[in-house]
Amino acid sequence: MKIVVAYKWTRDPEEASARPDGTVDWSRAKPGLSTYDPVAIEVARQLAAETGAELIGVTVGDKGVGTPLACKAALGRGLDRVVTVEDGSLADAGRSELAAVLAEVIKHIGDVDLVVTGDSSMDVAAKMVPTVLAGELGWPAVAEVTSVTGKAGELRVGREIPGGAQVLEISGPAVLATSADAAAPRVPGMKDLLAAGKKPVEHLDLAALKVSPQNAVMTVTGRSLPERKVRKGQLIDTADPAQAADELLTALRQAGAL
Amino acid sequence: MDFELTDEQQLIRDAVREFAESEIVPVAAEIDRDHRFPAELLPKLAEMNLMGMTFPEKEGGAGADYVSYVIAVEEVSRACASTGIIMSSHNSLATWPVYKFGTRAQKDRYMHDMASGRRLGAFALTEPAAGTDAAAGTTTAVRTGDGYVLNGSKMFISNAPHAEVYIVFAKTDPDRGTRGISAFIVEGDTPGFAVGEAEHKMGIRGSSTPPLYFTDMRIPKEALLGEEGEGFKIAMATLDGGRIGVSAQALGIAQAALEAGVDYAKERVQFGKPIANLQAIQWMIADSALQVDAARLLVYRAAACVAAGRPYSTEGAMAKLFASETATRVADRAIQIHGGYGYTEAYPVERHYRDAKITELYEGTSEVQRMVIARSALR
Ligand SMILES: Cc1cc2nc3c(=O)[nH]c(=O)nc-3n(C[C@H](O)[C@H](O)[C@H](O)COP(=O)(O)OP(=O)(O)OC[C@H]3O[C@@H](n4cnc5c(N)ncnc54)[C@H](O)[C@@H]3O)c2cc1C
Repeated sequence: MKIVVAYKWTRDPEEASARPDGTVDWSRAKPGLSTYDPVAIEVARQLAAETGAELIGVTVGDKGVGTPLACKAALGRGLDRVVTVEDGSLADAGRSELAAVLAEVIKHIGDVDLVVTGDSSMDVAAKMVPTVLAGELGWPAVAEVTSVTGKAGELRVGREIPGGAQVLEISGPAVLATSADAAAPRVPGMKDLLAAGKKPVEHLDLAALKVSPQNAVMTVTGRSLPERKVRKGQLIDTADPAQAADELLTALRQAGAL
Repeated sequence: MDFELTDEQQLIRDAVREFAESEIVPVAAEIDRDHRFPAELLPKLAEMNLMGMTFPEKEGGAGADYVSYVIAVEEVSRACASTGIIMSSHNSLATWPVYKFGTRAQKDRYMHDMASGRRLGAFALTEPAAGTDAAAGTTTAVRTGDGYVLNGSKMFISNAPHAEVYIVFAKTDPDRGTRGISAFIVEGDTPGFAVGEAEHKMGIRGSSTPPLYFTDMRIPKEALLGEEGEGFKIAMATLDGGRIGVSAQALGIAQAALEAGVDYAKERVQFGKPIANLQAIQWMIADSALQVDAARLLVYRAAACVAAGRPYSTEGAMAKLFASETATRVADRAIQIHGGYGYTEAYPVERHYRDAKITELYEGTSEVQRMVIARSALR
């Protein structure tokens, strides 16, 4: 059995800052594994440990995603090997393009039984790649996955849905997006990190992959910020909770909120 | 000259920080308040391979380089200085001499268990009347037919009584001064071995520091570490490395205090603005940031000397002296930035201040470090 974890090597938006003109300055943000991807790796790792499956990490993106540091960071989390496509032209790639490249890498690896992804990426958080990727592959896409057991062709997938839990049996290959808290990612130990550099890494050339034109191209045509109300910035500064509550009530009444 | 950490060193920093923030930070204030040794952290430190970091994998260690080790001690100490010294004394003071001076049989008996973190180690040199003057100890080891009989006591022994393996120094030939001291590997369950009540300390209260008592304690001749009379040399060589561990502990405390000061300065509003806008506060932060960075360079330089197999005694003394004095000063300033709140247990800076002070005292006081540095400068 072959399990692929599609992960993203990107920058943490919490370390980025917005310039006055609204553009984002990423220069001080440290690159790293996208927040929820270690959850996906952990879910996949547990299944691989039970089934003896090979666990392959795949990442595609801009320059940097295939650096030794990036590969070791992913491998240290328990992957057996990684396959990367690192190309400057992917810097501004949209979801459909990235998914098409990922699909091509998965076909290149061959005989993949399952693709696992994180809940969303920390920089874009559009939650679209798993679905579009599944579309490219012609496989089902299942989101909010909390557990996976079974084996190739007989997967049992648990998911959280509004109002309860659901268990699915999936007979063929699928793309599963894990929920944000599906598993507690294990912090890699020193030995895991030191061994990471000895694991195989395959870098694929984007041009040589011959990514076929996507079924449909999706283009983001607009973005807007949620409307922001002007804050009053009123501070109630007192150590006495009863007095603080009184002042808050008065302030809320004055503002017409009560 | 390249000041970049290797990929592995960067990943080790990130991983140890992630581990420390999820497992150690939540208990740091509590173990300090309750003077409680965090025994529950030992298996977790072991699982992270932090208890034998620099020893080869075949001896049970992680096979990491020395710079990675000091980064790990720094990150653990940034979260909790008590846990930092538990880890550092186990690695540097207890396990290292077994690895460096042990016979194959001794290594077979102890290395795997110690380097994998299954058995905790301690280093027992100091005595009530023998601190800086370590050779003034009065604990004796008298040779018998098949081994030695130890009598005497030790003072301030970190990790006791939780440790199972102790590196104990005793006089085998009291008339020969430093050449009459020998080192022994003693197991904590040996009859005649007793541990007294832990000291009530100003800081690093999660680390226990009790006295040891030996009463007609019989140990086999296989317990002798190195040759008879080599104990002082072993102690000094061990402390040369231990000091670098303490310098990393001090660096972690200093870093934590610096960050706490910066965070508070940005949040605390006085006169309608965050106090970070005040030049008086900025100057304190500038001095602290500068000293922490300088300390880090000295600490990593000393560790790089160990890793490269170069002499590191003076470099280690410089790193320890500067990093420990930096920790105390930076923690002091962090309290100043916090004002009255910094003097309360509501903020961690008073703990950093109390924890920082020990780094100027143990594994050679600052005076001893200055002596080492001066000796080298005047050579
Ligand atoms: C929390 C804690 C943990 C410890 N853990 C351990 C441990 O695990 N194992 C262990 O063996 N020991 C341990 N120690 C002991 C520690 O290393 C000693 O306390 C330290 O070496 C200083 O010895 P002392 O306290 O006897 O001070 P003293 O040697 O009495 O020093 C008193 C003062 O005199 C100064 N002084 C002494 N001699 C000279 C000199 N020649 N020139 C200039 N100044 C001098 C000192 O610098 C100091 O300022 C620990 C101590 C503490 C407090």
